[in-house]
Amino acid sequence: MGWGEYPPEYNARVHGPYDPARYYGKPDTAFGQVKLGELGAWLGRRNKRPVAIAQAMSRAWWQWNHKFAFPRKAGIAAPMQIVCGSMLFFYIMNYGKLRHHRLYKYHW
Amino acid sequence: MMLSRLVRPSKSAISQLGTVSVVQGSQLPANSLCVVRCITSGTKAQAPFKEGPERDLVNFPRPKQLINPSPVRLGVFPDSWFTFFYNKTGVTGPYAFGGGLLTYLLSKEIWVLEHEFWGGVSFFIMIIYAVKKFGPQTSAYLEKEIQNDLDEMNAGKINEIEGYTKSIENEKKSQFQAEGQKMLFEVKRENIALQLEAVYRERLMEVYRSVKNRLDYQLEKTNAERNVQQKHMVNWIVSNVKKAITTESEQENIKKCIGDLKALAARA
Repeated sequence: MGWGEYPPEYNARVHGPYDPARYYGKPDTAFGQVKLGELGAWLGRRNKRPVAIAQAMSRAWWQWNHKFAFPRKAGIAAPMQIVCGSMLFFYIMNYGKLRHHRLYKYHW
Repeated sequence: MMLSRLVRPSKSAISQLGTVSVVQGSQLPANSLCVVRCITSGTKAQAPFKEGPERDLVNFPRPKQLINPSPVRLGVFPDSWFTFFYNKTGVTGPYAFGGGLLTYLLSKEIWVLEHEFWGGVSFFIMIIYAVKKFGPQTSAYLEKEIQNDLDEMNAGKINEIEGYTKSIENEKKSQFQAEGQKMLFEVKRENIALQLEAVYRERLMEVYRSVKNRLDYQLEKTNAERNVQQKHMVNWIVSNVKKAITTESEQENIKKCIGDLKALAARA
C-alpha cells in the first residue's frame, strides 16, 4: 500500500477499468440503511487508519464529481456547492471570533 | 447412349436454373437488409461488451458519463438528501427539518448574523439574478460546443461503420455475382454437352448411312450378278436348243403334229 497504487482488492480482470469513485472491497450496509441501534457496531466496523480515511475522502470526491461536475449537462450546482461548502468551512473555522459579534444578550 | 445419359442431368439443371435465380433474387435483398439492420441497431440488441470471461458486469458495470447531473433543490442541496426523509416524514419532512434547524440556530444565535452574512445575501442575490438571466443562453452555447466536439470525435467511428457496411454490401453483391458465375458454368457445361450430343448423333447417322450404303451395294451387286447369270443361261439354253433343231427333226415334228391333230379329230 503506497502512493500511486491501486487498492489491493482491485482486479482489472473482474472489475474492468479502474473507477476512482468505486469501493472495490466487500461492501458493508449503506449508511442510509443502518438502523440507529446498529450505528455503533457499524462505526466500529469502519477502517479508521489514516490511509483508509484518505481513500474514503478521495472516493467521495470522485463520486461528487461524477454526480454533479462531470455530467454532460452539468450546471451551476457543482460550483455553488463548493461555494456554500467553503462558506460553511470558513465560518466554522472563524467561529471563535465570529461568536463575539452576537447581537442579543439573552436567548430563550 | 452413354453420352445422352450424361446430358440428361444437366438438362434438368437447365430447368432448375429459372427457379434458382428466383430463389437468389428473393434471398439477397432480405439478407442485405438484415445486415444493415444488424449494423445500425445491433449494439442495443447485443449484450454489453465484455472484456474477459471473469469480468463482473453486474456488480461493476462500465463507468459511463451521465447526461444530466444529479438533481438538486434550492440550487445546492442534493435531491437525495430530501428523498432520504420521505420514508419517515413524507415530502414536507425535509423542509420542516431544515426550517426547524434554521430557527433553532438563529434563535439561540449559534449562527451569528454578523456583517458578513448580509454580504453573503447580496452575493447570492446577484448570483441568482445572473443565473436566471444568462443561464439558458450560456447552457445553450456550451451544449452546442459540446455537441460539436462529440460530433468531431464520433465522425471517424461513424465513417468507419459506414465504410464497413458498404463493403459488406459489396461483398454480398460479389458473392451473388459469383453465384451467377456458377450458373454460367452450368450453362456452359450444358452447351458443351449439347455439342457432344449433336456430334454423337451426327456420327451415329453417318454409321447408319454408310452401313446402309454397303448393304445397298451388296444387294445391287447380288441382283446384278443374278441378272447377268440368268441372261447368260437363257441365251445359252436358247442357242443350244436352236443348234439342236435340224431339218429332219423339224419334219418329224411336223409329222408328229399332224398325227396328233388327226387323233384329236377322230376323238372329236
